[in-house]
Amino acid sequence: MEQVQEKQRTEEFDASEIEYVIYGGEHHLPLIMNLVDQELSEPYSIFTYRYFVYLWPQLSFMAFHKGKCVGTVVCKMGDHRDSKFRGYIAMLVVIKPYRGRGIATELVTRSIQVMMESGCEEVTLEAEVTNKGALALYGRLGFIRAKRLFRYYLNGVDAFRLKLLFPQPEELHPFLPMMADRDDTQNHDDHSPREEFLLKSILFSEVVCKFSSLV
Amino acid sequence: MDWKSTEQASMERHAPNHSSFSSIPATENTVWADASPLLETVCKELRDGELIHGDNFNLYAAMSALEIMDPKMDSGIINKYASVDEAIEDGLAPVPISIDKTVDVQCIIDIIDHLLSCEATWHKGSLVGTDCFFMRLPLTTIVSDARTHEEEDLFTMSYGLPLNVEGDEKCLSLLNAVEENISRQLRACKAPLSKRKPLEDIEPLQTNFDLEEGYCKALLCRLRFRKHFCHVLTCMRRPQGRGLELARKHIASCISELGSILNSAEFLMFNAYGTCEDGTEDRTTASGRQAIGFDANLNSRISAPTPPRSIKILSWKKAIKVHLQLLLVQDGKLYGRYPILAVIIRAARLTEVIMRHDILKNEYFVQLGQIVINMLKILCTNAAWQRRKLGKILQDWRAIYSQLELAFRKESGEGSSISNGENASAGILKHILIWVEEQTHWIAHRFLVLGFELELYSPSEYCMVYWYLSAVLIRLAEKKHLKMTVSDGSAKQKGKKRKDSPKDLAREARIPPAISFLQCQICLAEGLALLLAALRNELIVLQSPSPFNSEHERFLQHFELLQKACIPDLISYPSFKESTSCARISSVVMYNYFKDAQKIAKEVKSSFLNDPDRSAELRILEQVAEHNSVALNVISRAGALDPSLKVSFEFIHHPYFATVVVKRS
Repeated sequence: MEQVQEKQRTEEFDASEIEYVIYGGEHHLPLIMNLVDQELSEPYSIFTYRYFVYLWPQLSFMAFHKGKCVGTVVCKMGDHRDSKFRGYIAMLVVIKPYRGRGIATELVTRSIQVMMESGCEEVTLEAEVTNKGALALYGRLGFIRAKRLFRYYLNGVDAFRLKLLFPQPEELHPFLPMMADRDDTQNHDDHSPREEFLLKSILFSEVVCKFSSLV
Repeated sequence: MDWKSTEQASMERHAPNHSSFSSIPATENTVWADASPLLETVCKELRDGELIHGDNFNLYAAMSALEIMDPKMDSGIINKYASVDEAIEDGLAPVPISIDKTVDVQCIIDIIDHLLSCEATWHKGSLVGTDCFFMRLPLTTIVSDARTHEEEDLFTMSYGLPLNVEGDEKCLSLLNAVEENISRQLRACKAPLSKRKPLEDIEPLQTNFDLEEGYCKALLCRLRFRKHFCHVLTCMRRPQGRGLELARKHIASCISELGSILNSAEFLMFNAYGTCEDGTEDRTTASGRQAIGFDANLNSRISAPTPPRSIKILSWKKAIKVHLQLLLVQDGKLYGRYPILAVIIRAARLTEVIMRHDILKNEYFVQLGQIVINMLKILCTNAAWQRRKLGKILQDWRAIYSQLELAFRKESGEGSSISNGENASAGILKHILIWVEEQTHWIAHRFLVLGFELELYSPSEYCMVYWYLSAVLIRLAEKKHLKMTVSDGSAKQKGKKRKDSPKDLAREARIPPAISFLQCQICLAEGLALLLAALRNELIVLQSPSPFNSEHERFLQHFELLQKACIPDLISYPSFKESTSCARISSVVMYNYFKDAQKIAKEVKSSFLNDPDRSAELRILEQVAEHNSVALNVISRAGALDPSLKVSFEFIHHPYFATVVVKRS
């Protein structure tokens, strides 16, 4: 689904003036719909909004400034095909005068936090390949571009499928024990990185000689 | 609430008023009924915030639902016409298009051009969202086979158009007849006035004598292209590749006619009647004019359930490319002629006499053939789809390798020793095993480098990607060299026994050019990986940590499919960290991989003089190596923490080996 585009004229405000609110009921729905309809080009029916906010109200957040709704994020989560419990960011919008001040990052971070606490293994979304702002935002949060989808959007633009993998408990940094062992082991740590690579390159010729002697 | 009685009551109260719904008439089985009272009642019953939710109303259903009379979603609301027939009745596609014959001919040529562009777009992987009043496309089945689409787009529905798959022969005879006629018209206009006999006084194509030759030629090449194209498809459908030679001749004719079509563009543009489209790059006709008789909105009421996507119609040339892909694999054979197993045997550098060996009848060889055919088809598709599928087939290649390895162990155990050449089965399996490993690593390398073309890697990930790529390339070079050495060894053993001259020994010790080519790439990949690591380690390139995960998770995600297939083996995130954590600019300068790459490229250049593609790439690799070597020296001299230094990695020379660009801010 769609993500926010570049900022234009800005509104002056302090970050502390922004109030973040979780979806609270029907009275919030028109605010969300108006924001998304105004800012994003893909058309969504009211059923689409209700599908998200009724089934996963704990994953939708709004940002208010002096009583005015200036941003929103709408998400879902559930079991995916390969039985992975996965979160999905459907819509993210911040109105133009408020962009570039971290509001979108804060909204998304709150949703992802809830997903993580709810047991999601990963989070995914689609973004236009031309949407540099969204790609940078999600990149900073740890998302990778897992796939490119050919002409995904109605306007013919390609999309990236972005994915964030949460650390799995059983795989917590196996690298760390090796770091601790570094001082103890002497064999492979004596070589510089260049020598490591050279050794690998030389090895294959030894293998070649071995095989040719067998023929 | 009794819904049924309410509904019936409402229908009785509001008998259908046909004059209100005149645009879409009721049929025998349908009747119009006013649902307004029912909706009013339902709305009164439901309170604010209440939702009727069915279990099967999932996200797809929600996304497909329309809000009627909202122009953003309800594409039918902006239509002038409800159907093709209505549009034709209103004169949207008159026949003839104009009473002025010259204009009529121009418009017909535009239609032919636009149809070719639509066809090309369809093959390239888009829905053909336009309606064509004059289309006869005997090509529906070909589209299904072309495999150019994202899976969800592959619906060949005609939406009210008579796409006549059965009428190919009639189409061909029509084309022949029209071609004959226009050829006579062309001859007539070219013959000098004095030599024209009354019998040959044929009615010209159009009324402007000066333009007759140009229009005749423009039409002829288009008709001939279509005729040869139909012949290609007919020939290719013949079983066991019997139509192959004839198909090749027709393809050559197609390509020649395409050349003539392109050449006609100047004439058609110069004599264009009416306004031309802005932006010649996007034009779908040679003249630049919009073709008459096409309307993207017309059948939107009965088109696919999601709102229509914008289609960028491609230029004419692309259509032939996809159809050539069909030639690649026909009837389980390469070019319809060479059994895929024979192709594999040759690629594995075995002699074709092996084809008669019994071991090739085994099930795992059949499977290997299927896997290879699948790979070839995947390689013909668009880059995004191709990369996804290449990642997935790595498991298949690994699985077939395991099966072949088991068979090899069984053969080696049962038969006599390998060295005296008696165990031919084991020998064949060994060759095939080496070839399968080489191909598997080639697929892995292609998967990785396509990521650059598709912009799937952010700059902070380049280090791990180049590191992984260098590991894969090292294994690829190893397997390739092994294949060459083993097959050279076998060949030598079969030849007469003679003392090796110093020259022979020297030739054997030289690294084959194909391996050197890979070594050049390995050096570039290693150099880039270590430079990126050094820049990060020395804080020249700052990377803020993510709040939710670390580089480890990103490594796992990017290389998940390769790791699952153990390609290459013994590669993991810890080994990546170990290899790169000590990288420093000073050490990278000392062991300058870029200089090595340059040296190899220079040495091996002469071996590829007869291979223009490889020569060209080698030149570019040398260029990248040179640039990067210089950039490395600049960074080294400037000092690690110089804040004015800006280092970036740009793909200005090579599609996946970055050029290091150093700027001072």
